[in-house]
Amino acid sequence: MTKEKIIEVISKNIIENLDDLENETIDPKKSMKDYGANSLDMIEVVSCSMRELNIKVPRAELADIETIDQLADKFLAFSEA
Amino acid sequence: MSDNILNYSLADFHYNDNPDVLSPPDDFNEWINNPRVKQSFSFFEQELLDAPRVSTEILSNIDGKKRNIINLTSYNYLGLSTHPEVIQAAVDAVQKYGLSSSGAPLLSGTLDIHTELASKIAAFKQKDDCLLYSSGFGGNVGAIQGIMRKGDYIVLDEKCHRSLVDGGTLSGAKMLFFAHNDMESLQMMLEKCKGKRVLVVVEGVYSMDGDLAKMPEIVEICEKYKAGIYIDEAHSTLMFGKNGRGVAEHFDVEDKVGITFGTMSKSFGGVGGFVCANEALIKYLKGYSSPWNFSCAPSPAVSGGLIKALEVATRDSSLRDKMWENTNFMKKSLLDMNLDLGDTESQVIPIIIGSSGEKLMKYAAGMQTRGLFLQPVDFPAVPAHARRFRMSVSSQLTQAEMDETLNIINDVIVKDQKS
Repeated sequence: MTKEKIIEVISKNIIENLDDLENETIDPKKSMKDYGANSLDMIEVVSCSMRELNIKVPRAELADIETIDQLADKFLAFSEA
Repeated sequence: MSDNILNYSLADFHYNDNPDVLSPPDDFNEWINNPRVKQSFSFFEQELLDAPRVSTEILSNIDGKKRNIINLTSYNYLGLSTHPEVIQAAVDAVQKYGLSSSGAPLLSGTLDIHTELASKIAAFKQKDDCLLYSSGFGGNVGAIQGIMRKGDYIVLDEKCHRSLVDGGTLSGAKMLFFAHNDMESLQMMLEKCKGKRVLVVVEGVYSMDGDLAKMPEIVEICEKYKAGIYIDEAHSTLMFGKNGRGVAEHFDVEDKVGITFGTMSKSFGGVGGFVCANEALIKYLKGYSSPWNFSCAPSPAVSGGLIKALEVATRDSSLRDKMWENTNFMKKSLLDMNLDLGDTESQVIPIIIGSSGEKLMKYAAGMQTRGLFLQPVDFPAVPAHARRFRMSVSSQLTQAEMDETLNIINDVIVKDQKS
């Protein structure tokens, strides 16, 4: 699994789960909050992405993550473990 | 998962893709049956063998033994659940009306004691009218769901209780969360929903941290943006303010708060919830608040007892004065022991241990074995880096019990942290 693929999946789920983002390009350097996500939306995006990528990262390890890029790195580390 | 089993929590098993809809996820079974996880869960659902007073008895899951304990986990802040006058009033009510109200309030469940209790609560809270709910959780869900609609905005402090969030989800309104007690963040969220119907939702005392909503600033900002205010005073009613009306009274902003919620299960010593607001809104809620109009009215015993509990707690300030005396003593003593109590300003005192779930469980077992019942609060209920114990200080605590509590905390937590 490549990081590009992971970012693609996360971005797709952000667009699907949040309002008014149909024509947006998701910038991985930003946080989901920048796209209007509340904490419930973020749980939804993370859960959908993990299911799609077939990985399971403990939520407790995601607490300090701020950007989409950092989330992708974390997912990548778990997919390679 | 087996190599880092303790890193997982209930937050990780919400989604279920087991093809058998009557089964939990496969990895949930693997996790929950792991001996180390089982040990953490053994702190839950331990049976109290006597009333939830400060001095009570527990059947400990740790070693299967019955044990006399100092209970600083129950919310019996003013000891009203076992107050002799309250118990007598509950007995009188159950003898007259029986066990159940036997109906939803709209059709047949409204008893004269419900009307009396609701009107006394409304007068106490200085609002026009009051709606009683059989459950505190149901009260918050029902008020938010009953008032807000798709297209509306609910702006909540990020530390608001699950019942408020669930009410918001059910309402279909868009929910925005502002950083805890951060006025800049509140203002930023209100900018996003300018021109919409907006309800700002805060708690008087935040239940995991014990700090207070910054009501004077919140009121000022909400007035600027013409947003309504909903305050959940579950942990502050009967304790804050000159007359015990809560944090809104404490900050002298009661007339600026449109809706005030409270629970009957904490300081009141019963069970249920109430919502107070203007007459028209309460009338409207009766038509649309599902946990009110589709649920059996509160039990007569509880309602009769609560009328007396309100009287006992408000006829003078002796119970809350004693609760504050105990709170101030405990807080000062714990701070002298260099424990991290966060920003508590109330009788809810967190003792923040940090990121180690193992230490949290070790301390919980150590304290309970010594006779102190202080439950661990783990992630995801609190942030993973700030796992904690949450102490509920009660007016019932004696000096000897407070001294013993501090001895146990010193021996189990403070000495371990120094070593």
